[in-house]
Amino acid sequence: MSRLVLRGLTKAYGKLTVVDGVDLTLAAGEFVSLLGPSGCGKTTTLRMLAGFVEPTAGSIELDGKVISAPGLVMPPERRQMSMIFQSYAIWPNMTVAENVAFGLKLRKLPAEEVRRRLWEILEVVQLGHLAERYPAELSGGQQQRVALARAIVVKPAVLLLDEPLSNLDASLREEMRFEIRRLHDEFRITTVYVTHDQAEAMATSDRIAVMNAGRIEQVDAPHLLYTRPKTRFVAGFIGRTNLVEARLEGSEIGFDGCRMQMGQINGVPQGGSRPILLSIRPQSIGLHRVRPAGGEGRPVTPGTVVQRVFLGESWDYVVMPQGSGLRLRVTAPPLQVHEVGEAVWLEFDPRQMALVE
Amino acid sequence: MQGITKRQLLIAGAALGGLTASSRSGAQDMSAHERELYEAAKREGEITWYSGQYSAETSEAIGRAFTERYPEVRCNVVRSTSQVAFQRLSQDARAGVAQCDVFSSTNSGHFQLLKRQSRLLQFRPQNADGMLESIRNADPDNFFHTSFLGLFQLACNSQKVSEDEAPKSWTDLLDPKWRNQLAVGHPGFSGAIGVWAVQMRKMYGWDYFKKLEKNKPQIGRSSQDPVTLLNAGERSVGVAVPAATVLLSISRGNPLRLIYPTEGVLATIAPSGIIRNAPHPNAAKLFMEFQTGPHMTPVLLRYFADPLRPGSPPPEGAKPLDQIKLLAPSIEEQEKGVPEVRELWRDTFGV
Amino acid sequence: MNDTAAALPKPVAGQAEGRRGGLLRRLRYVEPVTLLWLLLVLVLLFLVAAPLLKLFSVSFQAQETGTFTLSNYATAYGRARYLDALVNSLTLGLASAAIAVLLAVPMAWAVSRTDMPGKGFTWAVVLGAFIMPPYLGAVGWILLAGPNSGFVNRFWQWLTSSEGTLFNVYSFEGLALVIALHSFPLVFIFVKAALDLVSSEMEDAANILGAGTWTAMRKVTLPLVWPSILGSFIIVFLETIALFGTPAILGIPARINVVTTQLWQFFEYPVRVEVAAAYAMPLLLVTIGLIAVQKLLLARKGFVSQTGKGGERRMIRLGPWRWAMFGWCALVGALSVAMPLLVLLQASFAKAWGRGISLDNLTLRNYHLLIFEHEMAMTSIWNTIWFSAAAATAAVLIALLVAYIVNRRLMPFGEVLGFLAMAPFVIPGIVMAIGFYAAYASPPLALYGTAALIIFAFTARFLPIAYANSSAAIRAVHPEMEEAARILGSGRLQAVSRITAPLLRKALLGGWLIVFIVASRELSAAIFLVGPRTRTMAVLLYDLSEAGNFEVLAAFGGLLLLITLVLVGIGMKLVGRDFMLRRM
Repeated sequence: MSRLVLRGLTKAYGKLTVVDGVDLTLAAGEFVSLLGPSGCGKTTTLRMLAGFVEPTAGSIELDGKVISAPGLVMPPERRQMSMIFQSYAIWPNMTVAENVAFGLKLRKLPAEEVRRRLWEILEVVQLGHLAERYPAELSGGQQQRVALARAIVVKPAVLLLDEPLSNLDASLREEMRFEIRRLHDEFRITTVYVTHDQAEAMATSDRIAVMNAGRIEQVDAPHLLYTRPKTRFVAGFIGRTNLVEARLEGSEIGFDGCRMQMGQINGVPQGGSRPILLSIRPQSIGLHRVRPAGGEGRPVTPGTVVQRVFLGESWDYVVMPQGSGLRLRVTAPPLQVHEVGEAVWLEFDPRQMALVE
Repeated sequence: MQGITKRQLLIAGAALGGLTASSRSGAQDMSAHERELYEAAKREGEITWYSGQYSAETSEAIGRAFTERYPEVRCNVVRSTSQVAFQRLSQDARAGVAQCDVFSSTNSGHFQLLKRQSRLLQFRPQNADGMLESIRNADPDNFFHTSFLGLFQLACNSQKVSEDEAPKSWTDLLDPKWRNQLAVGHPGFSGAIGVWAVQMRKMYGWDYFKKLEKNKPQIGRSSQDPVTLLNAGERSVGVAVPAATVLLSISRGNPLRLIYPTEGVLATIAPSGIIRNAPHPNAAKLFMEFQTGPHMTPVLLRYFADPLRPGSPPPEGAKPLDQIKLLAPSIEEQEKGVPEVRELWRDTFGV
Repeated sequence: MNDTAAALPKPVAGQAEGRRGGLLRRLRYVEPVTLLWLLLVLVLLFLVAAPLLKLFSVSFQAQETGTFTLSNYATAYGRARYLDALVNSLTLGLASAAIAVLLAVPMAWAVSRTDMPGKGFTWAVVLGAFIMPPYLGAVGWILLAGPNSGFVNRFWQWLTSSEGTLFNVYSFEGLALVIALHSFPLVFIFVKAALDLVSSEMEDAANILGAGTWTAMRKVTLPLVWPSILGSFIIVFLETIALFGTPAILGIPARINVVTTQLWQFFEYPVRVEVAAAYAMPLLLVTIGLIAVQKLLLARKGFVSQTGKGGERRMIRLGPWRWAMFGWCALVGALSVAMPLLVLLQASFAKAWGRGISLDNLTLRNYHLLIFEHEMAMTSIWNTIWFSAAAATAAVLIALLVAYIVNRRLMPFGEVLGFLAMAPFVIPGIVMAIGFYAAYASPPLALYGTAALIIFAFTARFLPIAYANSSAAIRAVHPEMEEAARILGSGRLQAVSRITAPLLRKALLGGWLIVFIVASRELSAAIFLVGPRTRTMAVLLYDLSEAGNFEVLAAFGGLLLLITLVLVGIGMKLVGRDFMLRRM
């Protein structure tokens, strides 16, 4: 059952449209990330979900009821949602326990119930021993856990997270990613997670909505986003890639002397004869000293190594196919060493290529 | 006002001691009329008195004495200089708000004006008949009644000015030797100084003040301000200062001497009246009875002010009234003259 | 998660009533803040806009008929004496502001940037001068520098065995100095706050190029804080031209008529509010002009950022000069606080202050008179306390709400509210009072003589202080603090009262106390509005000063200072030592 539905959601400040016709549907218990560079409209979308911002057009439905539309915004406090903020927004004048119990008390639950749920959640986020501390006495990670506990303890219909990890240092950030996912697996709360960090989005989400310039470019499971980007932006934003201009001739795709049957490539439209754009991941290109067999319709072409960087976990080569101006980035394992200027063979795998708009 | 005679002042002189005693004895000695007024005033509970006549300290004492005699009627004493009191009254009127019950000013002209504008309540206190004969009929129509008899004269600091050197007359003040030695109030604030300026102009023309200005007198606001300056030794001679304030100051050990100018002293016989829309009309009537009656006299004597009723000796250290030549412009001259001299003063003295 | 949603009301939009008119649906979601916004607009119109508009319109009305006329302007500027008063006010404002800057800038520099000793003492000096009501300082200086009897001059005569006068307080210089001695704390606070933001590297850069300490200060440090010097100069100027008490007490004996004392004369019989209004217009124009000049002067150059964090600061080592700087601070302290306070204290226990300190001159009579005999004295103390408390409460509350709406951008045109709340800052208090008299003294409201009128006037007059204070405090609280509460189910007002207000408590308390203290000594806004039972201590002090009875006056001033000190003490205890002196 779809819990949250965004239809043509739009927000404009004067002439500046920051969110532009966003359509998105979340199933109950689903974890979806809004991923994109800063200024892409993801935070505004989240704040519209929370009810802090009124949409200019479109609507948001929760369980089939409109909660946001132009001129009709249910105030945040009546949405049964909770949210984790970039600044955590832990109230410094309350103890950890008071912070976490705040929402429960607002719901006028019996004291016994408040106590039970408070201690339950403090155990879950491992903060039981710090219940009487004030926020100023906690580390960044502990404050983050308070924010998590405070948001989850009320068992919200939807949990919203706004770049919750951006203020933490790298190792803590990695730990908290798994923590967030673990809590999601435990409570199955419908969640919208805003981030600009693709690793964070991939580690936590069921699906990722990639946003750019106010629009959703693509919504898919993390591995599909990677392997089958639908747009040039998504291909470039998720992981590294080579974008290659190619031509579609009948059922064949060709670039720089390589020919492939289009049936082998992800998501090729029907027929015609026109220029197209291919996303070729650096990991999907094979480098060989001798010409490989090129079976199963894998095209090969000779080229020259023009640049290389050793990154520890891998080699990063730039190879120019013969008789072409293309500079392809190719990733190879540490033991596969080629000198700059060396002649090599490139082998492409059409199954790992994607045709992008 | 030169008509006050020795005979009048001596009438019933011995009665003073008895009066002092009776002022504290409260309700049992009240007349039926007084008791009736008090009963009505009790329901009003208070009376607000705008006054520029007696000094602040004396005014407070009068207010306290009134409330002592009539314990259930509080007296709100709003003491300022007469012109400021009148300004407050005018502001009230302009705003259409009634706050003042009884108004007292050293400038009798104020009452002519108020009477003409029908802003006074007609009432004759029964006690008025017991006042000195010459002052008991301030207004034939009984819109206001005398409540103040003040002498304004000269005073000097006796440590700075010997008896011989001291100025003897109003014109002596124009002598250049008094340059930077004189102190005087301001007719824009003090009613008495306004009346005094009218009198001086009448006697010597405005030239008197142009010459006085050359001696650079220090100008305060109230007519009493110079007394403080004399006490402090800031200035040597006080011009048109109230005798009562000087005598009170002497009694407290300050080195002052009162001087009676040869031309005569300014006698300010000034009235009080009930404001027509007074919020507490009965309390106001009661207060008018108090001011004209015998129970204010001891307070006045305590503060060296001249009593309004016969039978009391002059304040200690003061000459009896019948030995003094008194000067005073008529009430019409006051009404017309004070606004004129106020403007002239500001042009001549710059403030 | 289906057992969840606890007790929160179900979302309701789009249900049955969804089909009914849009208005009803809209009303369901109207936030209380919209109504509050409307209410605030009304309150600010009442407190700020209406009195000013009334003042403006009345200046063009004939007194009796109310028809349009320009004759009020003709009367107001028709006499040389009235124009002289204008010129006197402007000159006095410039002189006082200049002296205040000269007094305060070296102090601010020494405290902020050098190793001068006795910084705590200097703070105390500034605080003392700040809480001393200006008219009380004026009385103190009469006792000190009356040309013949003042202690300073008598000492000088004794020292030189002459009849000469060292300093005559009844003069233009005297007036300017006495005013400056009580307004320099404003300059100190602003300039020190700016100096605190200048990074030592700025000075280092000048030093490395060959500039000594003094050159670096003159050419680099002070120019960087030029906006704050200019700004505080303008504030002192505005305060001075709006001051009533000091010119009334010192100016009349000194024969100096200024705008405020002239305005007072227009209230003599017959009360000419119309002429007074016309006469007050130049004060407003001058103020607007000054703000424009300030903008123009500061338009292009870069200066110390007024909000950002300062860089690292090291204290400049002054060597023996640090004692010279300390001497300067001590001198200012003696002139502004210690000497006036001492002579006032002496006078308050004296039978006649001119007789000096001796046993037979000692008395408690002055205090006795005020506390037990003066019917109005105690009432006025009570009036002062409760008017000031009510005004402070109202001002802080209104300011908090306006600042909240403006800073959180809750409403379109929120800035208009902010502008209205700040406007009284540039309106001289006495002009404001005349506006209140013109607008509300008469029926239909007929507020003249009521406590309400004075409380309203005080609230309006000090709203800017409260607003600046609240605005800074609110900016320091991250909006997400409230949003976190709202998303968990608390309404906006509940979030403000449960989360924001407690976080702001200290700052607001500080703001409240500052408004209370300045209101408790306010004279110019009160003088035209008091009735017989609503006189405040400041007004009663002014009434007492008419007859020059300085002993009683000093005793009453002593009581006022005592009350203020108790409050400052409470403020320091609750809010922190420097709550009065933080830059607003």
